[in-house]
Amino acid sequence: MAELIAAANLTKHYPTSRTTRQMLRGERPVVRAVDGIDLVIQRGESVGLVGESGSGKTTVGRLLLKLTEASGGTLNFDGAAVSGLSGDSLRRFRQQAQLVFQNPFDSVNPRFTIRRAVAEPLINTGVPRAERDGRIAEAMRLVHLGDFHRYADKHPSELSGGQLQRVVLARALVGRPSFLVADEPVSMLDVSVRAGILNLMRELRDRLGLTALYISHDLTLVRYVCERTLVMYLGRIVEDGPTSEVISRPAHPYTQALIKAVPRPRTDQSREDLPISGGLANAVSPPSGCRLRDRCPYAFARCAQEVPALLEVAPGHRAACHLTSPANAAAA
Amino acid sequence: MDGGSTIVLPAKRRGLRTALRRYFADPYAVVGCVIYVVFIVLGILAGWLAQYDPTEILFTDDGQLAASLPPSAAHWLGTTNLGRDIFSQLVMGIRPSLFVGITAAVGVSALGTAVGVLAGYFGGVVDTLLMRLTDVVLGLPFLPFVIVLAALLGPSLQNVVFSVVILLWPNAARIIRAQLLTLMQRQFIEAARVTGASHSRIILVHILPNILPLSLLYGSISVGWAILTQASVSFLGFGDQDTISWGFMLQDAYASQALSQAQYNWFVPPGLCIVFVVAAGFFLSRGYENLIFPKLKQ
Amino acid sequence: MTTALLSVSDLAVTYRTQAGLVAAVDGVNLEVPAGAMLGLVGESGCGKTTLARALMGVLPGNARVSRGRIVLDGTDLQALSAAKRRALLWRDISFVPQSSMNSLDPVYRMRTQMREVLCGRGDLSRGAADTRAADLFQAVGLNPVRLNDFPHQFSGGMRQRAAIALALALHPKLVIADEPVTALDVIVQRQVLDMLRRLGEDMNLTAIFVTHDIAVVAYLCTVTAVMYAGRIVEYGPTADVLARPAHPYTMGLMNAFPDLEGPTQDLAPIEGSPPDLHTPPTGCRFAARCPFVQPVCTTTYPAPTDVAPDHWAACHRVGEAETLRAQATEAATWQS
Ligand SMILES: Nc1ncnc2c1ncn2[C@@H]1O[C@H](COP(=O)(O)OP(=O)(O)OP(=O)(O)O)[C@@H](O)[C@H]1O
Ligand SMILES: Nc1ncnc2c1ncn2[C@@H]1O[C@H](COP(=O)(O)OP(=O)(O)O)[C@@H](O)[C@H]1O
Ligand code: SF4
Ligand code: SF4
Ligand SMILES: [Mg+2]
Ligand SMILES: [Mg+2]
Repeated sequence: MAELIAAANLTKHYPTSRTTRQMLRGERPVVRAVDGIDLVIQRGESVGLVGESGSGKTTVGRLLLKLTEASGGTLNFDGAAVSGLSGDSLRRFRQQAQLVFQNPFDSVNPRFTIRRAVAEPLINTGVPRAERDGRIAEAMRLVHLGDFHRYADKHPSELSGGQLQRVVLARALVGRPSFLVADEPVSMLDVSVRAGILNLMRELRDRLGLTALYISHDLTLVRYVCERTLVMYLGRIVEDGPTSEVISRPAHPYTQALIKAVPRPRTDQSREDLPISGGLANAVSPPSGCRLRDRCPYAFARCAQEVPALLEVAPGHRAACHLTSPANAAAA
Repeated sequence: MDGGSTIVLPAKRRGLRTALRRYFADPYAVVGCVIYVVFIVLGILAGWLAQYDPTEILFTDDGQLAASLPPSAAHWLGTTNLGRDIFSQLVMGIRPSLFVGITAAVGVSALGTAVGVLAGYFGGVVDTLLMRLTDVVLGLPFLPFVIVLAALLGPSLQNVVFSVVILLWPNAARIIRAQLLTLMQRQFIEAARVTGASHSRIILVHILPNILPLSLLYGSISVGWAILTQASVSFLGFGDQDTISWGFMLQDAYASQALSQAQYNWFVPPGLCIVFVVAAGFFLSRGYENLIFPKLKQ
Repeated sequence: MTTALLSVSDLAVTYRTQAGLVAAVDGVNLEVPAGAMLGLVGESGCGKTTLARALMGVLPGNARVSRGRIVLDGTDLQALSAAKRRALLWRDISFVPQSSMNSLDPVYRMRTQMREVLCGRGDLSRGAADTRAADLFQAVGLNPVRLNDFPHQFSGGMRQRAAIALALALHPKLVIADEPVTALDVIVQRQVLDMLRRLGEDMNLTAIFVTHDIAVVAYLCTVTAVMYAGRIVEYGPTADVLARPAHPYTMGLMNAFPDLEGPTQDLAPIEGSPPDLHTPPTGCRFAARCPFVQPVCTTTYPAPTDVAPDHWAACHRVGEAETLRAQATEAATWQS
């Protein structure tokens, strides 16, 4: 299979403010937003990225799109190192890799008309004026806003959230990209509108063969769009597998908690306490070894000493937990 | 409004007409605007309204120096102790005031915007250096510094404008930088980057139009300050002696002891004009402020 | 059902806007039994927040209660003077707003804000207030030490807990919470929901819980009211409403709702959007989007009709609810 994205030991540390004492000692504390992840996305694959707020999902998306520079590791897009892109090659990359945002009202310039907003990528990548109208109409048809002329000269505030999110999708698709990152694209939308956008994302996946990274804190949503899902905790990937497997047989205690936490639209559901307690540890000085160990009910001595590696628990399904690693499974 | 899960609708775009209507709903803005219009019209017509050359020394029909005449049909506001027509001086004085006010406003908003945008957009070292610079300039005492500059560079109007701009841009720059930092959080700026827009395009197309109202506000606030400064500098005797301005008139009147001789017709009109124009400048910016920050009103 | 703590009849609220009057709440009938957690669900803009604010008596300046009665524990709230009405806040009714950042003052420590309510509103002494504040923090799962913190030092979930603690301070008869968990991620949301559920059991709390998330209602609420375009269209025990929805709008909402299990076929969104409330349609307000619409629907407003004990729906076709439910589960039904 052809890899579109390959990241190795990808890291992003944000500098944080220092106390006088840290300054005197010459320490430079950092927020370990993304702390060494390996990630391969095949062409045509839709991958979900789930985790709590603050686990580093958005930062991964921004790294993959070169919206922020990595602090370490390597990242290749279509075989070329992303860090080396500049000038023309960067412009080509910008045309290839696109982003859909959480809040549609914030992600379209309020002064632009819809036509102008969707034309933006074409203008920036130098598509000739004569071609633009055709391309815009094509993108608008893709997102089911075929009656484009009705919206073309409106401003974002005159559209509903669902319509505007479609416009944002059209803007992302108008340059015919090969890779799309969608960061919580429905979490600010109403339930009835959500369904339409989720359906649309599925349809685009099937029709255009887009490669996509779909970010959400809710596995329920990822499940409708992605065949594979990554679970992230405090800057690291802790589980990776086919979405249905991850949901039906979660291997990592954190994933188990994420799944249990989702309320269900039925009254006869489990209301047991979550297997993990408390909140996310501090990303400036995370726990040694396994980062979940301060919340994990199964933590044992080895968890504090050794960082669990992401190991296969079933074909195509990996988890980073000492409990499920083969060595322990054999011992148990 | 709703936060959380539902969408927060940005304020609906309003047309120019609605904006104007809201602007003129503020009585101060109306007063300020009327005063400006009157002065601008008078300034344009000044050459025609002034019956005499304001520097010309006039003589009465009987060949006497027309000194310290009270207001009359021939000299609406009387004459100075050297026989110059006060009304002509007053209307000709509008031009330097407006020149100073408007050029300073343009200068302050241009420089303040440029610095604020560069600092906020690029951040890092650029930001630190520029912000230190604003701190330094903000620490300078205003009037003494203008006087020193006038003394060093010569007292022309351009130099007064120059020094006012040099001293007033930091306020504008700081506010605009702060505004820019909030703007940079908006996702449409990031969206522009993802779609391949260059830095210059992001600044020109996506940022400046959103910053412009604030730049204009700082510009309009500077109008009053600049006119006041020019008047003060002239009054203190550091101004350009060849330009008839209101400050010059006041200084002339003061030096000639018009005050003790109760020549109200000489020093009251320029004083009132300064008060009017400066106050009108602040009224205008106040109305404008209500327009761009409608919430302040409630 | 047993005695209603709150009963609302024919309540209407209108906003004055540049484009004319908006009837955001238009003839709401609602009963909240003592000890119940009522979930109020509906799409954005259907009037949930407006209704909640009207119950509190804290509508914005351009809004007016144009008719109707609100009776809380035997007292007709509309008959009270504005001052008396305000005196009820915190003591009898308290509020957890949509964004907790709005209810917590960023410039004061939590302890000060607690004292403000407990001493200022509740006549407690300072010492007693501090003890009560510590108990409240404990009850919502916060360490009492954090009373010394400012709200911005809290995470989103902690802020919601603090806002809830503040709302519970004076043992109010009724708590109204507007989307208190929607902005939170799944784990924190679940923790706050569990905390609320426990409080509901321990303190016999009566609460109105505004949300657009059916799963949250299913998890927490005993009674459900579904709101559409300014009116309650279905009301009943949650288990009954979710298992046997009788109003097509409720059926539509259930269908559009993604779940963690079951086939991942296309979801069925309800096409279109709620009607413009400047000029509300005559007849059933859902008619323009309803797949089961009949001629009568567009002319006559359907009266609330009982479908089961304490369960009613305002639809002309409640009698055929069973058949409609079967059709509603097919995505094709909802395609216009
Ligand atoms: N620009 C930044 N400067 C400093 N720290 C940052 C920055 N962006 C993110 N972080 C930190 O990095 C960590 C991960 O943040 P990120 O926003 O990527 O998480 P997330 O999973 O997307 O959360 P959410 O669901 O809230 O968006 C957090 O601790 C966050 O505070
Ligand atoms: N302050 C206001 N002024 C004018 N209209 C308002 C105001 N607040 C809400 N509305 C309108 O009232 C209706 C109901 O709004 P709201 O109560 O906020 O519903 P929800 O909470 O379900 O989103 C909407 O049409 C909305 O636009
Ligand atoms: S490695 Fe240890 S602490 Fe981490 S998840 Fe597994 S059992 Fe829990
Ligand atoms: S009354 Fe008619 S239009 Fe309204 S919900 Fe029932 S069937 Fe649909
Ligand atoms: Mg995020
Ligand atoms: Mg609301």
